[in-house]
This record gives sequence, structure tokens and C-alpha cells, in this order.
Amino acid sequence: MFKTVAHMAYQNAFLRKSRALLLVLMIGLSMAVMVGLEGLYDGMSQHMIEKTKRSDCGDISLFAPRYRTENSIVYHISNAGKKVALLQGMKGVRDAIWRIESEGLAQTARKSRPARVVGIDVADEEKFGRYSDFLQKGSLEFGKDGAFIGNVLADKLKLLLGSKVIFSMQDSSGQLQSVALRIKAIIHTTNIMLDDRAIYISRQKLNKLLSLPPKSATQIAVLAGDTEVKTLQQHIKKAFPKLDAKRFAALYPQLKQTQQLLDVFNEISFAIVMTVVFIGILGVMYVSVLDRIREFGILLGIGYAYRYIRLQVFLEALFLALAGFVLGSVLGLLFLVYLKYHGLDLSVFSSGMSMFGLDSTIHAVIKPGYFVSTFIAIVTASLLSIFLPLRKIKRLDPIEVIRSIG
Amino acid sequence: MIRLVNVNKYFYRGDPREVHALKDVNLSIQSGEFTVITGPSGCGKTTLLNAIGVLDNVSEGEIWLEDREIAHLPATQKTDIRLNSIGFVFQAYNLVPVLTVEENIGFIMRLQGYSDEAIRIRVREVASILQIDQKLDSLPNFLSGGQQQRVAVARAVASKPKIILADEPTANLDSKNSTALMEMMKELNRKEGITILFSSHDEYVMKNARRTILLNDGAVVSS
Repeated sequence: MFKTVAHMAYQNAFLRKSRALLLVLMIGLSMAVMVGLEGLYDGMSQHMIEKTKRSDCGDISLFAPRYRTENSIVYHISNAGKKVALLQGMKGVRDAIWRIESEGLAQTARKSRPARVVGIDVADEEKFGRYSDFLQKGSLEFGKDGAFIGNVLADKLKLLLGSKVIFSMQDSSGQLQSVALRIKAIIHTTNIMLDDRAIYISRQKLNKLLSLPPKSATQIAVLAGDTEVKTLQQHIKKAFPKLDAKRFAALYPQLKQTQQLLDVFNEISFAIVMTVVFIGILGVMYVSVLDRIREFGILLGIGYAYRYIRLQVFLEALFLALAGFVLGSVLGLLFLVYLKYHGLDLSVFSSGMSMFGLDSTIHAVIKPGYFVSTFIAIVTASLLSIFLPLRKIKRLDPIEVIRSIG
Repeated sequence: MIRLVNVNKYFYRGDPREVHALKDVNLSIQSGEFTVITGPSGCGKTTLLNAIGVLDNVSEGEIWLEDREIAHLPATQKTDIRLNSIGFVFQAYNLVPVLTVEENIGFIMRLQGYSDEAIRIRVREVASILQIDQKLDSLPNFLSGGQQQRVAVARAVASKPKIILADEPTANLDSKNSTALMEMMKELNRKEGITILFSSHDEYVMKNARRTILLNDGAVVSS
């Protein structure tokens, strides 16, 4: 019997071709836009988080106890190179890196700003986070007195390539130290904490300036491999019980919140699109049922049980929705592939977007989950959309229909 | 086989528009009979057929199909009775437009759960009797009125119901098609032994029936 009901449902679903086509197009286009938006939102948050991890904290960062609360280089990690080597050999670790940082003041002849000097090794950073991706201008070579500077800080201090800047800081014994630096590169990580405040110099040089033993670090950043980050954090804590191991979410709660906010946007867009789809299917199914109310009355009259009509109407809605889903999947996938490789250029909003740590060109990500969730939502919308039409049929008295047609 | 005991049917009961459509109808129809209910327009022929087919409720009285009183069953059981014991032929054919002739004829059998093979054999058998075996793959909309009515009869007959109720089945047909349909119904009655109950005021139909029940103003005048 299912075969006959399904056959009747299929034939009826596409009986009015223009109506069916319009609905399928509406579902398909809505879904393509929805899937594209999901990919863009996820692309935004994923790139934002990924760049922050690459440019700063990795999946897990290790600090000396009290460093994060006191923000003083007195609380530094000794023999960081050795610890990084151990971490790099640890199962589940993709890479690890150490850095030294200090707060201070960056000044030119006319301007000054509170800033943060970060001691890095360019080769290590390249391996850890493809550092050259962040280069906006100049070249990644420190030379004798070279430094790199975050692009926002460079703007604020009116610094260009080749300009000089003085950075003052307190060393580990509390003495004031200053160093004159020449800007060799302008760095744009989209991590606003760095772009707005960071001046990068070589690790060795900063260790010396801060009067710290060589290979002292304020941070060791770890990128996770296939292992789950939480599990890796526990392993690291076991291996380095005297260090404070923090995960990304704890270090950048605001980014986590931004990601959650984008997820909420995603859910709202999803709900709006699916409501439109639901109303579309409901409208078509309602009209379709009203058109055939006589037919349903006769079917009930000759013994076609209401449960078959219910199944038939559901299958009709489902066939239309699935046709829309197939079209939407194809269009959505094409849209996502385009957005993944070409991106969406929003450079007119670049200044506003960089405040949130976003690139001006957003590249979408593609997840099978978009199609799975849309499929589930469309099936649900089909199910919900038949309640009203079925109510109409449920109240139908076959004799009234038969009387009305003589 | 069918017995009606003191059946009354009112429309708008207790309302100034009240109509007493069936008045103390007492009838008995035996198995294998070929009966016509006739009478002037508005005398209650269709109401009586609908009551016997448990499509419509009666206001008073009992309707017995074999040993079972069927007038006061719950709606789902009435649906089962209509599906398994009664075949309907309507004046307006009422075929399922998206199903082929073959699927329409086998529709009731499919609802009853017959196998594909049993349905195929029976559909061909009935279609052959009703001379529509060349049209099995057609959709109803591509058939003439006479052919559609024959499909409707075939659908009613295919599942071998205990009784076929046909409400003015020749009303929309020309005389040639009416005659052909009547001949086929007679043949089905003879060959299959199906009890057939018509409502009609077509003289040709009345002439060919073995029994005529005359209704007037809702009451049985002669049977």
C-alpha cells in the first residue's frame, strides 16, 4: 500500500508544475543562501580563532605561576627551549614555541603609546603559525636593530617602514631599559591584542634587555595535533606540574564569546530561512489540499483510511521539500565553494571588522553538518506544514462532498 | 442480506427547515439481487443508498448487513465496512486522476492488502468484461465519460464486494453508453453473483432490473 500512497503523493506533488517549481525554487534558493551564510559565519569565527592561535596562544599556552596575575617578567619560565623540545616530542602536540614579552612604552619624537614588546624567533614563528602570512609591509628580518610592529600601533604612532621608535621597559631587576628600533616590517595578524600593541624583536635581544638568562620565556604556546585539546592539556599539566597550562577559551574569552555570538546569528538566520520554507510548504500544501478536497472526500467514502491520506499529504510535502533540498544542496555547495576560494570582499567595512579581529575578505568553510541540519529542518518543516491541511481533511465528512457533487 | 428496519432520516431536525427524507423504510434485499430504487427527483433515492452504504447516518432505525447492524457503528468501523463489503459507483465517476486505469481498478484491492499478482490478474479479468482492457495504462482524464464510468464500475467490482451501490450511474452517459454499461452490470451480476443496488429513473435501467423499489416522498411505495 505504501507504494501506491507514495506514487499518488509523488504524482500529486508535481501535478501543478508551475506551483511546484516555484516552491522548489524558493526552498532551493533559501537553502543556498542559508548554507552560504552558515559557511561565512563559521569561516569568520574559524579564521579569527585560527589566526589568534597561530599568532599568539596556540591551543594551549603555558605560563609561570603568577605571571598572568602579576604581569611581571619576574615570573618567567626558565630553560624554555628545553621544555619546548620536550613538548614537541609529546604525543598529540603538533608544534610548540616559546616567546618572551614585556609591557612598556613605545615613543617617537611626537607620539607615545603603551605597548608590548614580544621577543620572537622568525623561523620558529614561521614553522608554528606561517608568520609570513601576517606580513603587511617590509621584510621579516630583524638585522641589528630591527623590529616589526603591529599595523594599528604603527598607524597610531605614524610609523612607516624605516622609521625609528624607542621602546622603554623595566628589566627583571626593576631598572629602566630603552632601546632604539628601526621598523623593518608591519604585521597584521587580525588579533587586535597584537596589532594594536605589539612590537616584535628577536628573542635573544629581548632576553638580554630584560636581564634574563638566555632562553627565558613568558609564554610557551602549543598547537594540538589530532588529540583532543582538553586531554592534551591534562597530559601537559602532568608533564609540567609547576607551570600554568591554559586553553585558548580561557585566554581569549572575548573571542569565544564572539564565536558564540556568530553561532547565535547563524541560528537566527537558520530559523528565519526555515520559517520561510515552512510557510512556503504550508501555503502550497494548504492550497493543494483545498483543490482536492472533493477527491479526499471520495477517497474517504470508498474506504481509503485517514491514515493513508495523512501519509500521502506528508509524502507530498516531503517530495516537494526534498526536491528543494536537492536544488538547494547543489546551489549551496557551489556558493560555498566560490566563497571558500574567492571569499566575500567586505573591504569597505575593513576598519570596523579589524576591530573585531576579522579579515576584510571572509572565506567560507564547508561542513557536511550544514546539509545534514538543513535536511533535518526541511523534513521537520514538511511535517509541521501538513498539520493545518490535515485538520481540514480530518473535519471532512465524505457524505457532504458526495452530496455536493450529486 | 440487507435489511432496513424502521429507518428514518431527517435533515435539519428540530429546525424550521426540517426535511423528513426517509420515512419508516422497511426493506429486505437478498444476496445476488439486481435491484433499482426509483422515484421522482428528491424522493430520497440517494439518501437511501447513502444510508445503506453507511456513508450517511440515519436518524432512527436499524440497517443490517448479513448478521451485523451497521447503522450505528463508529466511523472507523464504517470505513472498514465500506472498504471490505461495499462497492460504490458514483454519478460523477470520481476516479483518482493521478492513477492509471489499472491502478484505479486495483485501488480498493490494494487497500485490502491483496498481492500485486492477485491484483494484476483480477484487474485484467474485470477490465476484459467491461471492455477497457486496452486502456489500462491511460489516465482517467484521457478517457470518455462512458469509459470512465466503466472504470468506476470495475473499481467497485474488482474487490468482489458483497454489494454494489450505484447512484444514477447512467445519468451522465448517452443512451448507447448507458445500454452498454447496463449489459455489463447484468453480466457481472450473473457471473460474479454480486448484489447490485441502483438508484435511477432511467427507464432502460428499470426495465432491466429484476426488482424495482419505488420511493415517493421518502417512503417505500412498492417493492
